[in-house]
Amino acid sequence: MKEILKALINVFLKMPQGFVVTLKHVFKKPVTLDYPREKKPMAPRYRGRHYLERYEDGTERCVCCGLCAAACPADAIYMEPEETPNGERKAKVYEINLLRCIFCGFCEEACPEEAIFLGQEYEFSDFNRDSFIWRKEDMLVPHPRKDNPFKRIIRRVRRVYGVPDAAR
Amino acid sequence: MSTSTTTQPAVKMVTLTINDQSVTVPKGTTVLQAALGAGIHIPTFCWHPKLKSVGACRICYVEIEKMPKLQVSCATEATDGMVVKTESDIVKRGRKAVLEFILANHPLDCPTCDKGGECDLQNLTFAHGLDDSRFDFLKRRHIVPGVPSTFDDLRIGPEIMLNRNRCILCYKCVRSNKEAFGEYDIGAFERGNAMEINAAPGEQVANPFSGNLVEICPVGALTNSDWRYKIRVWLTQTTPSIDIFNSSGSNILFYKEDHKNRIFRTISRRNDEIDDGWITDVARYGYQLVHSPDRLQKPLMKKGSKQVPVEWEEAVAFVARRLAEIDDTKGCVCIGGLASPTLDLDSLHSFSKFMRKVIGTNNLDFRIDYRSLPEKPDSAFSTLSSQPFTIAEIDTSDVIFVFGSDLVKEHPNEYLRIRKARNFGRPLVYSVNSFNVKSADVADREFIYAPGTEEVFINGLCLAAIEENPGLSGADGLKRKISPADLNSAAKTCGVSAEDLKALARTLINGKKISFIVGDQVSLSRDREVIAAALCNLNRLVGITSRGQMAALARYADSIGAEKLGLIPNPHPDVKRALTDLWGGFPEMAGYHTEGMFSQMLKGELDAMVILGANPVAMYPDHEAVAETFEKLDFLVVADLFETETTAMADVVLPLASWTEFAGRYVNLEGRIQKAERAIKPLYESKPAYAILADIAAAARKPLFSSAREREEEIEKVLACTTVRPWPGDYLDVRPPAIDKDPAYPIMLIIGDDPHHRCYVTEKAASLVKFCSDAYIELSPELAEKFKVEDGDAVRVESKYGKLMAPVKVSRVLEGDVVFLPRNFSVTRANSLVSRKARIDWVRINKVSG
Amino acid sequence: MTFYSPVITNAAEVAGSDKLHLFRYVEDANQTKIETYESHGGYGTWRKVLTTKKPDDVIAEVKASGLRGRGGAGFPTGMKWGFIPKDSPKPRYLVCNADESEPGTCKDRVIMERDPHAMIEGMAIAAYAIGCHLMFVYIRGEFGHCIETVDKALQEAYAKGHLGKNVYGSGYDLDMIVHSGGGAYICGEETALLNSLEGEKGMSRIRPPFPAIEGLYACPTIVNNVETLTTVRHIMERGAQWYRTMGTEKSPGSKIFSVSGHVKRPGNYEVELGFSLKKLIYDPQYGNGILGDKKLKGVIPGGASTPFLTPDQINVGLDFESMTSVGSMLGSGAVIVFHEDTCIVWAILKLIHFFRHESCGKCTPCREGTGWLEQIIRRIEHGGGKPGDIEKIEDICGNILGRTICPLGDAAVMPIQSAVKHWRDEWQYHIDHGKCLVPTRFEFV
Repeated sequence: MKEILKALINVFLKMPQGFVVTLKHVFKKPVTLDYPREKKPMAPRYRGRHYLERYEDGTERCVCCGLCAAACPADAIYMEPEETPNGERKAKVYEINLLRCIFCGFCEEACPEEAIFLGQEYEFSDFNRDSFIWRKEDMLVPHPRKDNPFKRIIRRVRRVYGVPDAAR
Repeated sequence: MSTSTTTQPAVKMVTLTINDQSVTVPKGTTVLQAALGAGIHIPTFCWHPKLKSVGACRICYVEIEKMPKLQVSCATEATDGMVVKTESDIVKRGRKAVLEFILANHPLDCPTCDKGGECDLQNLTFAHGLDDSRFDFLKRRHIVPGVPSTFDDLRIGPEIMLNRNRCILCYKCVRSNKEAFGEYDIGAFERGNAMEINAAPGEQVANPFSGNLVEICPVGALTNSDWRYKIRVWLTQTTPSIDIFNSSGSNILFYKEDHKNRIFRTISRRNDEIDDGWITDVARYGYQLVHSPDRLQKPLMKKGSKQVPVEWEEAVAFVARRLAEIDDTKGCVCIGGLASPTLDLDSLHSFSKFMRKVIGTNNLDFRIDYRSLPEKPDSAFSTLSSQPFTIAEIDTSDVIFVFGSDLVKEHPNEYLRIRKARNFGRPLVYSVNSFNVKSADVADREFIYAPGTEEVFINGLCLAAIEENPGLSGADGLKRKISPADLNSAAKTCGVSAEDLKALARTLINGKKISFIVGDQVSLSRDREVIAAALCNLNRLVGITSRGQMAALARYADSIGAEKLGLIPNPHPDVKRALTDLWGGFPEMAGYHTEGMFSQMLKGELDAMVILGANPVAMYPDHEAVAETFEKLDFLVVADLFETETTAMADVVLPLASWTEFAGRYVNLEGRIQKAERAIKPLYESKPAYAILADIAAAARKPLFSSAREREEEIEKVLACTTVRPWPGDYLDVRPPAIDKDPAYPIMLIIGDDPHHRCYVTEKAASLVKFCSDAYIELSPELAEKFKVEDGDAVRVESKYGKLMAPVKVSRVLEGDVVFLPRNFSVTRANSLVSRKARIDWVRINKVSG
Repeated sequence: MTFYSPVITNAAEVAGSDKLHLFRYVEDANQTKIETYESHGGYGTWRKVLTTKKPDDVIAEVKASGLRGRGGAGFPTGMKWGFIPKDSPKPRYLVCNADESEPGTCKDRVIMERDPHAMIEGMAIAAYAIGCHLMFVYIRGEFGHCIETVDKALQEAYAKGHLGKNVYGSGYDLDMIVHSGGGAYICGEETALLNSLEGEKGMSRIRPPFPAIEGLYACPTIVNNVETLTTVRHIMERGAQWYRTMGTEKSPGSKIFSVSGHVKRPGNYEVELGFSLKKLIYDPQYGNGILGDKKLKGVIPGGASTPFLTPDQINVGLDFESMTSVGSMLGSGAVIVFHEDTCIVWAILKLIHFFRHESCGKCTPCREGTGWLEQIIRRIEHGGGKPGDIEKIEDICGNILGRTICPLGDAAVMPIQSAVKHWRDEWQYHIDHGKCLVPTRFEFV
């Protein structure tokens, strides 16, 4: 008898209490995101997928020095340099294996030309493993880009040579 | 003649203290060398162990007690009781200051600099430098006019790029070029702050040793264009190897990438006994032929009239079957073999065993480009060429006699040695040739004898020696055996005055330590037996070898190895005995040497040939006749790296692995056994020669060796035999043969290697082709004037045996009626002009108009 | 026609003195002719030495005279000659260093263009002393007229048999070659001079070996200044005892001082060593006071490469020891005077520009350091100086001083160091305000 009474109290008293909690949350701001329709803004220094910067005139910043590959603890970067017709050095092949990459950002740190950055993007999924190898063309920012957040990056190399930016 | 052994005066030793460590060194040693010898590191930029100190960079400061200022250790001689500190505060401050000065105008372009990772400046800045620069002005920049680049790279030679911004002006390139190589195509221009290194006006830095300038550059100012922007140095592995283009066997290092089967560059691996750290451009860029797209990729077999690619098994089985057939039907006498003297010991011994044991013939040889040989068991030339010779002995010789050799082309390392001997001592150097050679610039005097009078010249030298010192033993006996037997007529015939001959003889008699080098003009001469006999007489009379060394130097990387392994029909008796013991038998037949095999082939009495890594059609004298001879063969199997004139005639062509693709041992001209490690895996389907021979032998069911160890043991046993032949016990007859000369062909033709090429393979190396891409007729300015030709004009060269056309190059060294033609280019085969019978090749030239 | 540069000298005083000797005949326009020179007893000393004395006697005499090199370093000449190895089979050479290019110095030029035979005679005696049969005179490239004059004098000397094969029948051969330099200051340094003479780039060599052991063409070589060699002639004429009556104990003899800058009477004056610097500047017979009767600011006493002296230091004797005691050097004896209206930064900029331009570029500190210093000082002069620049200059100077192959590095930084030390406030004002504390106002003579 006592058990039956307890059950009835539970049903008619405690359950509505629970519903009230639920109901309250219906009107509260949700803590989850409606991913993938909605995306969480990442921290400014989040280390997501890599991209390769360009100079303002569109030439690649990367000179294929190999320091990112040397710094990479996961050995995810492969590169082959080549000589441009006017004797400058640039990457012929620049590949990052995103499956190996641990997004430590050492490549960004190591880069003397301020060419490689880890961006905000974090969605990596695909149907075959080959598509995780990102080539240089996949990572280079488009040119001309609409807004360049790195305009004020110190042009170290140019300063070394004393080349005005307009000369490029 | 007394055999006085020169006793070196005892070297005085001094004891000094470096960083509380007591160091004892010979007097005259610098503080820097004393410290380095004691394992104390002192940083340097401008110092090089093989060059004189200049003290320009000032990084090697040390503090020496009782001296008020910091001293540069590279130019301070160690004295007794000196107290040196290399790590005191004031020294460290001095170093930092110098690094700051150097870095003030050094661009921060390490990311794009090929030296990054192996740069002395980078390393020293890391170890000793400041963290930051106080230099806040624009850096000095040498802009290359007309190039829209921020890199300011200037091409100053076929393979050398110069970036003057990076240069720290240590002058090592200029100094080594001048001191070590005797070349003046790079120099320092302007003054002070504006000073720059550059190629001499109107010149290209293209001397045969130019690659060394890049190697010793402490920063990235001079870089190789073959290594330019290819790979970072920390991604490479190194493999020690040997230069096989040169009989000295300079020690080299190959750089290959970790993951790739590709060599990226060669640098020297300093061996003071052989190369002093200087290697030729051929050694440096020769590796590129390994990666040539023209490499043979698969075995080829002649089916119908065409050679088609087949699998190894098929080719090997076919070769084994055919050789067995010929052996059965005509006998093993009808099979012959030629092996290149640039193959390793394993391959050469396998070849010897394959020919002698598996086939049972004695027709084998390694002399692939000699003129006809009179084959006598104890010929004078064999004696001369088997004599021991030590490269390092040149350093301490006081008389150096170079007879019949253009050292730059034939023995570049010895050339550099003589130059070094001249820089650090005062030897008397004589160069004697039938034409002017480049290497005579190290000589105190150059003598030119009339073409084809080598033995007369040597006879004249003997006669002059007798006249100088009538007490020489056996003078009368000698006079009876030689003709002409009086000095004046010998002098007249050979064209060198009696006074000069006497002066030469005097230095040979009085020299305390003599190095007598006999070169290709003797080794390749038809009458080398006669010349060698004359040289034996000279040695017997004057006693050169009792006070030094005298030898006809080996010509290829493994010539001595081939000789020692008995790769000639009639090897040294000791070697023959050893081989008989090992194999339980030795072919009874006498066997034919190269020339003999060719004449047998022509007669149709030799039907099959096995050729390993050689191209006799292009290299052996008389192109037409050799080609005709090879057409008569029933069966020809050739293993080589590339398709050549010889492989074109072959029934089976087998792809041979290059020396970089397997570990091999080579015997250099001193008899030193050196190992070249395997740098890369064999490319395509190529195989080393010993593996090919083992395969064929296995297919014939007569396996060569049960294991690699057995092969090595056999080689060791054979090499243990000495092949040095004793000098003849008496004076030899020297009667100069007549020299036929047709007035229609008035000009002497010299055939040899271009300084940037060796044999027939190096034209596949891209960098070497940049130095010299095509054959040329090098002629003296007098001839150029006579025929009214300039650089680049085409001329036709005709001999009795053939003719060809090539562009002219007006020589800086040749004089008189002499032309030089390189033999390295497949388009223009120099051997088509040459006869096997003639002693000297006479040609005529005429200008091709239009 | 001999070029005759209008230089003020104290020839009249010298002619009247029984001690001073170098300038005795320099005002005589005919002195370059050998007849005139011989009429004054010219070449008599050479004849006397060659016919009566042994080489060792000559060296001993010069040693006894205490003659010190007049080129700048003040090394005892006799001792230098004694360093020639006695048993060397190699030929020996004498080179006369006439590459006078130190800013402010123009004493050798006067000797060469007005009394060339005295130099040749002195060289001949020195050559005999060291056993040399071929001597060179390396004349600065810009001194075209000197080369002509010396060459002409040389022809005359040959014609009269003072030089050539078998001089005076003594069996002694002596030849001389006049060599024109290419116009590099560094070639006044003896090893660079030898390099230049050999046809190499004019860059100093590392020592040891010293030229006396291994010099020109790796043979024992003595390099002496024009004035030194000319003095040798006079010492051999009148004896070491006479020479010692002049000058001080350790710096005997007389010396030519070239007074230039802000003085009323710039010129070359031969005075005894130990002569007062103040007197040289202010005495009417010599400098005759400061231009415009302004106040003295500073003096460089020995050519551009020596430290400055301030007005309170100039009451000092002009000899090697006294100069060292006040922190400067006698150098080549070029007294450069600055009056109060000189901006010291401006003056130093001129100096460092010269040294930067003349640095040979062989060793790092001098090549890079002088360029860097010039850039900093130019920045200060043009009003772009930054705080800390003075310390930077001092530090760079310290890193160059004593760290170079040849003394050019030291020469470049010593005046800067002393200028910064003496007039630091002026440098500071320049950096703080971007302009001169004392605007430079000049009127040159």
